[in-house]
Amino acid sequence: MARISDEVVIVGIGETRVGKLPGLQPVQIQAMAVRDAVDDAGLMLKDLDGLLNLDPYVTPSSMFATTLSEYLGLKPRFVSTIDVGGTVTGMTMIQQAIWAIESGYCETAACVYGENSATVRPPGVQGLHMHNLLGGEEWEEPFGCQGMVIPYALVAQRYMDQYGATTEDLGAVAVTTRKHALLNDNAQMKKPLDYEEYLTGRMISTPLRLYDCSLVSDGGGALVLTTERRAQQLGARYVYVRSMAMRCTHNSAVALPDVEELGMRDAAADCFAAAGVGPEDMDVLLLHDAFTISVLITLDAMGFSAPGESGALVRSGATALGGRWPVNPHGGLLSQAHIGGMLHLTEAVRQLRGEAGSRQVPDARLAAVSGNGGVFSVCGVMIMEAS
Amino acid sequence: MGEILAILPQRTDDSREFWDGCNQRRLLLRRCDSCESVFYYPRSSCPVCGSQRLSWVESSGSGTVFAFTRVEVSFYGNQWESQLPYIVLLVDLAEGPRMLSRLVGETEGLCTGANVHVDFVVVENQWLPFFRLQPNSGVA
Repeated sequence: MARISDEVVIVGIGETRVGKLPGLQPVQIQAMAVRDAVDDAGLMLKDLDGLLNLDPYVTPSSMFATTLSEYLGLKPRFVSTIDVGGTVTGMTMIQQAIWAIESGYCETAACVYGENSATVRPPGVQGLHMHNLLGGEEWEEPFGCQGMVIPYALVAQRYMDQYGATTEDLGAVAVTTRKHALLNDNAQMKKPLDYEEYLTGRMISTPLRLYDCSLVSDGGGALVLTTERRAQQLGARYVYVRSMAMRCTHNSAVALPDVEELGMRDAAADCFAAAGVGPEDMDVLLLHDAFTISVLITLDAMGFSAPGESGALVRSGATALGGRWPVNPHGGLLSQAHIGGMLHLTEAVRQLRGEAGSRQVPDARLAAVSGNGGVFSVCGVMIMEAS
Repeated sequence: MGEILAILPQRTDDSREFWDGCNQRRLLLRRCDSCESVFYYPRSSCPVCGSQRLSWVESSGSGTVFAFTRVEVSFYGNQWESQLPYIVLLVDLAEGPRMLSRLVGETEGLCTGANVHVDFVVVENQWLPFFRLQPNSGVA
């Protein structure tokens, strides 16, 4: 069966506490996640000769892979700081780590992201201040378009109008995800959320209410990759990466394409084709859920539902634990934490190792992870397989 | 709503003529002399064919609503509360390009596909191309 690599595997995962971590800077948070992942793999820090990361969004910093490398006392043969977009960044770190290891540039690489956006974000600013990030400010800001909620609200309104999706569909995503988060000790949201309470959430930008929006979080996540031979020597429980594909169609909301032209459909088709599998083969889904609407559009685009039918799929219980395709058993960006999607990737590995405890999807063999950065600007899909 | 607030654009070599056009209440679009594509926002090469042979054409200012949202929370601190709620929308211009803007005036009848027309609003010394719902613009 096709894989990105038959030689390189994910051998360890790390995750810090999430929520607010006052007193910790991003480099310290990323170091914690890397140490956790190295421990998990049965390795030592000094075994790392590759390091890939992303600098913090709220406090952008140059050369952040070297910053982290120095902090950890490493002298890697391969470093890279990668910024592609939500969860696609983490997938791209994994992809490039695989290429670097296969090519002999390094043998064991850590991929990490973490920051302290909940602690350092200035009060009164709602949503990330994207001035320097999306680049469309000249064509957005004069018209009152700022942050990420308004762009996603435009997509949501269009999708709902075009396909007849409803507030109940959005709410079902929020409620399902919250139920999952309650099974995760390391989740920011601790209280149940039912549909009535979802409706009491303040309207931010129609049709998106408070509970349609993901969390702002401190925390970090990391993955360690090495050769399968090394992983076997370590006696580690490792996971294969079968395939990854991405598509970049635009950047800011100014250039938003039609819903059916968003890149997720093509990225998913490429990824499934490369792996020689289809949606029907997937056991668990880790879908980038910056907003509830993201999950609905992604389910359609990846082929888990016919266009416009994802709301019915979610309301049927198919995306809840126990359903046909459980989505985000860890609680996702909506209810666990928003660490740029790194915890989607670590959760996929955990599920495929059968170590997810009360939220384990039984006999999970294949996981699909989706990501999208910007406003579906860059879309990516990665398929992982249990060993 | 009282005074309209806006963060004014920082002009570049790509956009100077566009914003000057707005100050003359003209909505200018870039047109490619090679492949005849009309595009928004203005930039130094055609996003369809890559040609740098570009001219300006004046838009009729008419379009239809592709998507809209009513913003109910300020993303700019307390000063912006006076603007709430307001409508941000994506307009498909008659000439083809899609454009992000803000709605002024009446909101009743606003829906996907509704007819809108550019309506320039001045903030400080810059006229901005906002849009206004056209009467009886409801879509069948």
